[in-house]
Amino acid sequence: MWYTSFREQVVNLQSGIERKQLQAFLERQSLSLDGDVEYAVALWDGEKLAATGSLSGSVLKCIAVDEEFKYLGLSAKIVTHLVQEAYLKGRTHLFIYTKPENKTIFTELGFYVIAEIPSKVVLMENTSKGIKNYINEMKSESAISADAAAVIVNCNPFTLGHRYLLEYAAARCRLLHVFVVWEEQSSFPAEIRYKLVQQGVQHLDNVMLHKGKDYIISKATFPSYFIKEYQELVKTHARLDLEIFTQHIAPALGIKKRFVGEEPYCKVTAAYNAAMQEVLPKHGIEVQVVPRMSLEGSPISASRVRELIRAGDIHKTKELVPETTYQFLISPEAEEIIKHIQSMNKRH
Amino acid sequence: MRIQQVGIAGTLESSDITIHIEPNEGKGIDIELKSTVENQFGRQIRSVIQETLLELGITDAYVRANDKGALDCTIRARMVTAVNRAALGSYSPWEVK
Repeated sequence: MWYTSFREQVVNLQSGIERKQLQAFLERQSLSLDGDVEYAVALWDGEKLAATGSLSGSVLKCIAVDEEFKYLGLSAKIVTHLVQEAYLKGRTHLFIYTKPENKTIFTELGFYVIAEIPSKVVLMENTSKGIKNYINEMKSESAISADAAAVIVNCNPFTLGHRYLLEYAAARCRLLHVFVVWEEQSSFPAEIRYKLVQQGVQHLDNVMLHKGKDYIISKATFPSYFIKEYQELVKTHARLDLEIFTQHIAPALGIKKRFVGEEPYCKVTAAYNAAMQEVLPKHGIEVQVVPRMSLEGSPISASRVRELIRAGDIHKTKELVPETTYQFLISPEAEEIIKHIQSMNKRH
Repeated sequence: MRIQQVGIAGTLESSDITIHIEPNEGKGIDIELKSTVENQFGRQIRSVIQETLLELGITDAYVRANDKGALDCTIRARMVTAVNRAALGSYSPWEVK
């Protein structure tokens, strides 16, 4: 078997046959083809599928080599192809999501470990400085207090419920770090969500706002969060995300406590919250669940606001969101977003 | 030439090297090398990278190299291509005019 005899082919994910072939191959390697995969490549030995790998955003995943073709360097070929494809798309900060036993292979291909859940999963990135730079950047622009707490929010968009949670938390610590989820998977773009939080917490002196970027509930740290379908995998992903938080972020900023809003609707978020209550106290971080603020008997949530927007009742959102968010919603800048929400038919 | 965006060249296969180069405005040349033959040839590889940058007139760049035992000529070729892509340039000395 000579190495160059393999045929390299991009998988047509739209084709039912090719997709099934790929799925069957991955299942034999006890992997599955994730729903968010957007690009896949395969190496063929004649009519036989020998190796494959996929790309989802900036994450390389579903990489597998058939037992028969191990030790021929096929994974290097697959990774090279995927990296070049990602660079072509302008994505240069890349992640790999893999089983811990494959760690050495990807280390040799230029990836570095960010966090690991033993015997489950390891997350790696293609630079040795990635998370270090992110932490240093945060440290340099933020005051450091030994008695700090954290809240992670998506705020799609910022409501009175979020404001209540942040006010509640800010009153119970010296410094509150607020991280805004940065993945572009919400109706409101990250920059706008960030801006609305910023305007909404201006009256709180001890709040430090951060962009969550790649390391806090991102497609890399928590892929299943954005698939929004509950599956067993969610628990593992949640633990990976929390591992990064406890190993890298919390110690750097002196975070001793994490506040979280109660989650009545979304099963994925509820599972994440449950994992948080289990994992964080073991690392000396206290978790406090804050009940939702209610209006006329039902909790205020961003999905309720979006529901009203979808129904065309923008003026009714006035009692659910702060003045700053409301002003944005009725501004011309929001028109595109509103149109988009009205054309969609799902929760996020 | 000036590095304006991220450029990449090369593969991760044996006897090749992957060069990733990005802007490092005003901070000089920064090389992060990972090599299967780091102990034997690390210094040599770094100097080839430095020399190639010097020849191309690049003063600021962050270079990440993942080497699988490439020969000097390969390193040089991958460097030239990566720089060219990163500088949005048209430096292609291998073409017949």
